[in-house]
Amino acid sequence: MPALVWFNEDGLNPQHQMVQDYGDAPRVYVFDVEYLERWAIAKHRIQFVYESLLEIPNIEIYKGETVAVLRQLITDYQVNEVVTTETPNHLIKSWQDDLLKYTDLVTYPEVYPTIDSRPRRFSQYWRKCDRDWLIL
Amino acid sequence: MEGREAIAEYLQDEFPFLEDTGVLSPHQGGRSAGLQRLEQFQLEKYGKQRNFLDGEVGRLSPYISRGCIELEEVRQWALKRGKSNSVEKFVSELAWRAFFHLVYKEEGDRILKDMEKPKVSMRQHQTTLPEDIANGETGIPSMDTFIAMLKETGYLHNHARMYLASYIVHFRRVSWRAGADWMYGLLIDGDFASNHLSWQWVASTFSHKPYIFNRENLERYAGSVLPGDPRKGDPFNYSYEELSERLFGSEYQPERSRTSGSYR
Repeated sequence: MPALVWFNEDGLNPQHQMVQDYGDAPRVYVFDVEYLERWAIAKHRIQFVYESLLEIPNIEIYKGETVAVLRQLITDYQVNEVVTTETPNHLIKSWQDDLLKYTDLVTYPEVYPTIDSRPRRFSQYWRKCDRDWLIL
Repeated sequence: MEGREAIAEYLQDEFPFLEDTGVLSPHQGGRSAGLQRLEQFQLEKYGKQRNFLDGEVGRLSPYISRGCIELEEVRQWALKRGKSNSVEKFVSELAWRAFFHLVYKEEGDRILKDMEKPKVSMRQHQTTLPEDIANGETGIPSMDTFIAMLKETGYLHNHARMYLASYIVHFRRVSWRAGADWMYGLLIDGDFASNHLSWQWVASTFSHKPYIFNRENLERYAGSVLPGDPRKGDPFNYSYEELSERLFGSEYQPERSRTSGSYR
């Protein structure tokens, strides 16, 4: 199935499993101008992201409104699947939800040694999960 | 022109709304820079030194937050060093990051509002960040130094983030949300989970009590990197009991003793 690999601000690893699994797919990143302005994202962060992107071979870098840019790329590349990484960031998640209207979405989950549901205080979480965290 | 300067100039053209600080951040992006930093990190010193602003810390957060290196690979790297107090402490810090993410995943954008009732009154707190703070011109050299570091490098030591957040929320009576939004934009590792929930932890809307610090604590952990503050009118030069009374009034009863001001 032709796919498009979409990197987000929280997942800029050129060696991520996603990249290995979709080695032939085009890879893209979108600098969302509205987000950068709304949250007054500083230049140092944008430069850090940009420098990180330069280590991802064949990355295509766009700027604009994320979902609109991706919709255009879905059409241009004639893909029916967008592949990306999970993040709790509610803004990125809302873009992911929006995209679902137009394409299938494959999301690689964040990896933790253990997942506790509804933790409220770190001390409780750590008491319950420390063993999982402290073994290889 | 050297590579990083050329990138800075290019980005300034592409995104003309960005404020140009005129300096490059010492934190270079990319997985290879992140792995190099991991290699140089003297983990065995971390346990004892991590709360000191000139102590050994990994400064890995930009790389983990932006996903250049994975939290799980950093955890495995640490555990392969064998068991020690430093390793355990470091892994528990990674777990804090995961904990914040799990809460954010569960709560979504509700973490942008008070998670719990504040334990001290915040009804009078102003909801916009005062300009002197945004500009790093508070007149308190220590706080202005932290703000300048944040703006010039896109990064702050965790303890400095706590001092600054506490100063803004409790000493200046600014809503935690105004401070958190401001810091989120400036940090290379800006992440709503770690950033906004830590501000809530300081404010007491995601913890049992407000986090405050005094002069003694600031000097002990940060003195070596700060210019001296004037003694006259020093807002921090009090015991914790006195500070609590000054900041929160008599209706709030803090715990009698605090072991250090270290975060958590």
